[in-house]
Amino acid sequence: MHELSIASSVVDRVLEFLDSHEVKKVITVRLAIGELSNVEAEQLRFCYTAITQETALENSTLEIENVPAVVECPSCSYRGRPKYWADALSAAPIPTFECPDCKGTVEPVEGNDCAIKAIQFIT
Amino acid sequence: MGAIGSGKTTLIGRLVERLKDRFGVAVFNGDATTSTDADLIARQNVPVVQIATVNGCHLDANLVGKALRKIDLEKLKLIFIENIGNLICPAEFPLGSKARIVVVSVTEGQYMVRKHPHMFLGADLVIVNKVDLAAAMEVSVEDLAADVHKLKPDIKVIPTSCKNGIGLDELTTSLLAV
Repeated sequence: MHELSIASSVVDRVLEFLDSHEVKKVITVRLAIGELSNVEAEQLRFCYTAITQETALENSTLEIENVPAVVECPSCSYRGRPKYWADALSAAPIPTFECPDCKGTVEPVEGNDCAIKAIQFIT
Repeated sequence: MGAIGSGKTTLIGRLVERLKDRFGVAVFNGDATTSTDADLIARQNVPVVQIATVNGCHLDANLVGKALRKIDLEKLKLIFIENIGNLICPAEFPLGSKARIVVVSVTEGQYMVRKHPHMFLGADLVIVNKVDLAAAMEVSVEDLAADVHKLKPDIKVIPTSCKNGIGLDELTTSLLAV
């Protein structure tokens, strides 16, 4: 959800960066999208293409790097991929916060964010 | 947080009744269009701010920040923030609250939890509401709770009914312990 507002925040950040640098054209913007961030890559690309028109980002490539979820268990110190709920009527397996080792509740430590990793441009 | 018609306002009303004489309580009602919910709570003579989002499907920290400036915080100990009825978008927008309570009612059917995992993964406490209607709806409260525990094993799930008062004392105690 809200990929349009996420795309416009990304574009605003990049434009802010361009303000302080002598950039003619942006070639690529690389984003890291966490598995737990609920950001839909396809919708984001669509919105990105639409809102970059007539800006220095027009025709630039949006590269998306998927960041897998990593969870940590406060009880047994497990650190790694979450346990997935595979049979939940869902199109894709749902990550859960159940510890794969001790069945306690884990906390997410990676894969929660959506971040701009790199901007490639011509000066 | 909870779907439209899950009973968020009524539950908050019951909690306000139980708590308002003990310390300062206020309520922020997120509602897309009407002030119905805010008016209902205001009858209890506690400070209420309606946050109208118009087309917005969720509250965000900025809207809550604006609401905070509309009331006198000096005498308050607890603020309930009722999000817009929606089990998807509010999960993505932290409001700065101390705890997130998600309400799911049996009238929404058996699969609401597994259909909205992100909402429940972000919860600190889950309420299964309208349990007086579970038999009529042919919905199992235990199975709803089991789905929640599959996502988050140690989270507290409290079955409630605002019709006959089931679970409301336990909810009040658990809320204060969060």
